[in-house]
Amino acid sequence: MMPNTMRDAWYPVGLLSGLSDDGKDSQLLGEPISVFGAKNGRPSVESAGRTLPVVERFGHLWTSLGSPNKDLFTIPEADHPERKLVDVGVVRVKCSPLRAVENFLDVAHFPFVHTDILGAESHPEVSDYKVEIRDDVDEVWATKVEFFQPQAAKSAGGGITTEYMYRVPAPTCAVLYKTCPPRPGEWDVITLFVQPLTEDLCDVWPWMALFDDESSMTDLIHFQQLIFLQDRSILENQLPKRLPLDPAMETPTRADLTSVAYRRWLKRHNYTFGAQLVAE
Amino acid sequence: MTPVNPVGDGTYWTMAAKTDAQWVPVAVSADILAGTVVPARLPTGPIAVWRSATGNLYANGDRCPHRGMRLSHGFVRGETLSCIYHGWRFGTDGACQKIPAHPSVTPPKTINCGPLHVAETNGVVWAAAKEPAEPPQFYPGYEALRSLVIVSTPAAIAAATNATIIDGAIQTTLGGQDAVLLMSPQGPQEVFILVLARPNLNLADRLAVSSALEALRRSAEAVEGAA
Repeated sequence: MMPNTMRDAWYPVGLLSGLSDDGKDSQLLGEPISVFGAKNGRPSVESAGRTLPVVERFGHLWTSLGSPNKDLFTIPEADHPERKLVDVGVVRVKCSPLRAVENFLDVAHFPFVHTDILGAESHPEVSDYKVEIRDDVDEVWATKVEFFQPQAAKSAGGGITTEYMYRVPAPTCAVLYKTCPPRPGEWDVITLFVQPLTEDLCDVWPWMALFDDESSMTDLIHFQQLIFLQDRSILENQLPKRLPLDPAMETPTRADLTSVAYRRWLKRHNYTFGAQLVAE
Repeated sequence: MTPVNPVGDGTYWTMAAKTDAQWVPVAVSADILAGTVVPARLPTGPIAVWRSATGNLYANGDRCPHRGMRLSHGFVRGETLSCIYHGWRFGTDGACQKIPAHPSVTPPKTINCGPLHVAETNGVVWAAAKEPAEPPQFYPGYEALRSLVIVSTPAAIAAATNATIIDGAIQTTLGGQDAVLLMSPQGPQEVFILVLARPNLNLADRLAVSSALEALRRSAEAVEGAA
């Protein structure tokens, strides 16, 4: 039985720019939903005859199967008028929604999975960084994450040491703040919004709010899609399929402290749709 | 301690719970070139079979102990196998030698990828979770030709060839040629087959054996479907 806490969270179910007035059938946490563009003038979501709460934000339509006890998280940086807001689209991945988020929180795989783009095999070291569960906002944060990147972004001219901050504000959503090559002092915002379809299938909706006057929208989308398709080849081949919350199942190192905190936070809240609690 | 590593969906891959001291055919030797790794299966679950740069053959569980990535997607350099996810490097004894994210750390001896026993005879790669007392069965005058998966049972395959099963194998003729079918059940309804034929067959004869094997698959799967 799925814990109610995860039903009460918000999830992305489509791009606002891509909704169909006739409705599109999908799933959320294993339950059937239908997503409508403008059935009653505004986007709406139905499930088994019920009308679900919706929010239009960050280029996506959001909904919840339960009774959300808090508003959708905010990303104040995304409101900056000079940022380019990039609707990347959707990538369906045959993996646990929680594994998809955990992979997004990891920099140690860059040299091997995103070789010569986000990382280089000659610079694999992950130096110590700071991780905390911020109780006041109930979010996981990792800060001072530094990593050498051959091509950190579409707008990066060459190799730079990039600084990252990671934030998990909802069980299947992560926000990345990273050094912005053309605007020192500002952070590019890259998000991973995951729609959990079942415990081992998800639709991933990456979204970005960048300072980039040079690259075309098409190039920005292609760059992000290239990166995520490289991740998909990993995500669909991890065993077990569901994210193990039993510490004996896998072997974390210091580089994995963000994922350790994420798993602890999931466990604390009973956010276990897509997780494996004990070795079977 | 006997860690058991589930691969999900009720399928189990065991690292230390090795009770099977039985040689199981898992691949055609010639299919695994030096410096490559391929996925294969034991009845207990998925394994990774790899050949080092110098041509030595190794096998281990198909799961990196770090984040569960399949090691058969990894890469071989020299006498080591590395995981494609974070580059964790494993030696021929299965022990982790290097964690690239922490270059100055010596990995603890406890981190390993579950090495298996391997042997090669008749151009066949055999693997065993526990070291068997005897070498694998040898079939004089035969050489591995190809492998195939049949969605059926050994009994149905034996029935389709009018043969009996001896030591997990069937001796029969395929395409007019002598053939031995080594069988490794992968579950209640799936059998990995490795076909041995006479060495030095010409191309036409090899193709005839191969076609007859595929016909056998259709026949065995139809028998099973009708049951």
